[in-house]
Amino acid sequence: METRSSQATEPLIQLVVNRVVEDSNTDTRIIVLARTDDAAEHFMVWVGASEGEAIKRALDAAITPRPMSHDLVKSFGDHLGIKTERVVLTDVKSSTYYASVFLENKGVARTIDARPSDAIALALRCQAPIYVTQDVWRRRSGQNLDAWLSKLETKEV
Amino acid sequence: MITQMQVKGLMFDPYNNVYIVILRDDDQAEMLPIWVGKSEASSISLALENVAPPRPMTHDFMKSYLDAFQAKVISVVITDLNENTYFSKIHLTYADSEYTVDSRPSDAIALALRSQAPIFASESVIRKQTSEELDQWLENLKPEDFGKLDS
Repeated sequence: METRSSQATEPLIQLVVNRVVEDSNTDTRIIVLARTDDAAEHFMVWVGASEGEAIKRALDAAITPRPMSHDLVKSFGDHLGIKTERVVLTDVKSSTYYASVFLENKGVARTIDARPSDAIALALRCQAPIYVTQDVWRRRSGQNLDAWLSKLETKEV
Repeated sequence: MITQMQVKGLMFDPYNNVYIVILRDDDQAEMLPIWVGKSEASSISLALENVAPPRPMTHDFMKSYLDAFQAKVISVVITDLNENTYFSKIHLTYADSEYTVDSRPSDAIALALRSQAPIFASESVIRKQTSEELDQWLENLKPEDFGKLDS
């Protein structure tokens, strides 16, 4: 609860999804996000292959013949008038990130718990901003990840 | 005309490297196999086995999204199966109004199982399955496959 109150006083950091990198060794995807106020500062989230693909499709504005899962969530929102206001990466425990999705409908606000992959996949489809708390930003994974990531990307090319 | 179907289980189709959700009607007279991807199969399997994963999976998130505003899934209907393009409708009630949302059957089934909502199939969809195909799948079906999913 202490972290929660300190989170409330500190401004959130806005992020944009920069790219989705395939980690072929583990069949996972790395979602690379960048600070909107400093594009050189990255934040990385490891997600499963299908979750990563859902984010990549949104990033590429790919059209699928049938609505995929997060397109369906957006479709529910469009039908019922629910707006995705923003998503926030709120916590990290044992290398697992936690996210909250902030929804609004006719003045009624609701917040739901989500994995970052679902939160980001929905945010991209709804043009909703993505934020991280200062606390989670400070506790993000190792500083040498950028170097490691560029090595991984070079290997793929 | 629509028939209520129950999810009987999941099979792995090694030739096409896909999963098949088996729907059967209450009389066990009709069977409807639906091809789904690995992550969709995994989501349906978790719901069938009543397993609560440590973090909400995509369809748990989907249900939370609807629950947050007391929107309720009333039923889902598999309406059409064409080649690799499958169609279904999700019927919802929200604030005294009814809504029908287009979806893939895999999402509809995964959501219906989590919402205790009935699953229906339109007659035309059931008729499109040839009897030879059904026999072949039935032969391959083992009780231990039901509700189970490797990896």
